Amino acid sequence: MYTPGPVIVMELPEKLTHLEVRSFLDEMQPLLEIDRPCVVLDCSQVQSMDSAGVEMLLHCLQEAMKRDGDMKLAAVPPASAVMLELMRVDRLFEVFDNSEQAVRSFQIFPSVTNAQSQPWYGAAHGLTDLKAAG
Amino acid sequence: MRLGAVVVVGTEELIFTKERSASECSVSTNLAVESSNAFLNEPLECIDIVGRSLVERAIERFAAIDIHDVSVLVDSKALLGVPNFRGSFGSLTVEGVSNLPSAMSRRFADYSREGVERSFVIAANTYTETDLLDLFCFHRESRQAVTNTFDKEESLPLWVVDCVKAQDMDLSGLLNRTHTNTKGASNYFIRDYVSRLRHVRDMRRLTSDILRGRCQTGPSGRQVRPGVWIDYGAEIHRRSRIVAPAYIGRESMVRADALITRCSAIERNCCIDCGTVIEDSSILPNTNVGICLDLREGVASGNKLWNLERDVMIEISDPNVMHSNPGVSVSVTKQRKRTMVGGAALRESKPNGHSMAV
Repeated sequence: MYTPGPVIVMELPEKLTHLEVRSFLDEMQPLLEIDRPCVVLDCSQVQSMDSAGVEMLLHCLQEAMKRDGDMKLAAVPPASAVMLELMRVDRLFEVFDNSEQAVRSFQIFPSVTNAQSQPWYGAAHGLTDLKAAG
Repeated sequence: MRLGAVVVVGTEELIFTKERSASECSVSTNLAVESSNAFLNEPLECIDIVGRSLVERAIERFAAIDIHDVSVLVDSKALLGVPNFRGSFGSLTVEGVSNLPSAMSRRFADYSREGVERSFVIAANTYTETDLLDLFCFHRESRQAVTNTFDKEESLPLWVVDCVKAQDMDLSGLLNRTHTNTKGASNYFIRDYVSRLRHVRDMRRLTSDILRGRCQTGPSGRQVRPGVWIDYGAEIHRRSRIVAPAYIGRESMVRADALITRCSAIERNCCIDCGTVIEDSSILPNTNVGICLDLREGVASGNKLWNLERDVMIEISDPNVMHSNPGVSVSVTKQRKRTMVGGAALRESKPNGHSMAV
């Protein structure tokens, strides 16, 4: 059975360019090496992101998935969203409006919305008729 | 009877609102213009839209009704954006000006001396398909010094003036379109297609309208199959796909597995690299777009991308993603700027350009 561990929320720096990516990855690496890491990256402070930043996000996602975990994004500014879309990686991440929603998404099991359908041998399918016939 | 034309280049707000009070200016319009300028560094009317700028399209319209005395007055703040003309025009003059009303008054005086009785005046950032000869006849019959034009939304920066009478008029008041009840002016209503370029969004709309055939003006180049226009010197890889309507500009390159779709326009001297999708977007001249990207609902220029869906501009520092392609045309523009930056009186005659040959 899957039991989610603690969710780690990390705030991304204002600039996510090749200069800043290295130091951020050094910070992130130990967090991604635990079993089933659940990571939320809060992007609300990000002002500029280049291809190195996108690559870093992909690397983190890959590391998390390797260990049966996941990484989600929260509060992605429009400019960063455009960059993710341009580089075709927007579909790879679950994106939430804020980090609270992203954290909750790790903890809530999806509810069963569809009620079990009537068995095929129910009254609607004429079982009584069959019995009567038998 | 000889007719003249004056085409005004430069952001409309830079030119026409000098005399307006701050309260009269639309804040949103000004913000849009400022942000568009930050994105493009040159007026929207100087940028190619499916092959030709609005300045060139305006000149072409005048040439089509045999008006050969055409003056292009470029605001000194917009000198970087002096357009490249691909067509050849007879006696076209391009002049950098710091004071538009006095430059226009001078031009009308020149026209009067040369025997040009009446002149059209148009701000090139507005494209209209009205019948210019009908407008001229209306002006002549009204016997007024000036004829203003309107469409269903507002007054338009297109006038017909009497060159002699106009010299004595307050031209700044005339050009300030808030004063529509100018003494000695008649009003002409335009029902035809009108497009105002105030924002890159307007540019996309005009591109789409041209490609979909919603207006009379068409893309440059040759229509290789219904709705697909390819301009001179464009290279398209056989494994790429162009979905109509679309335009590929002069000397542009579309590499293998690229997809150009939904009213997209790749202007001159661009490169769309392998596997990239351009959807409902314009790639402005001299722009290289890298491999395997997905550009939707945007306008790209050099390393800048304006996403219209989110209304946000991003600048991309990684040249592998997007970068400016320094083409021949850029150096020509710079050279022309150096020639013209000297002052208002400096005038440059435009030699015949290269005619389009596909």
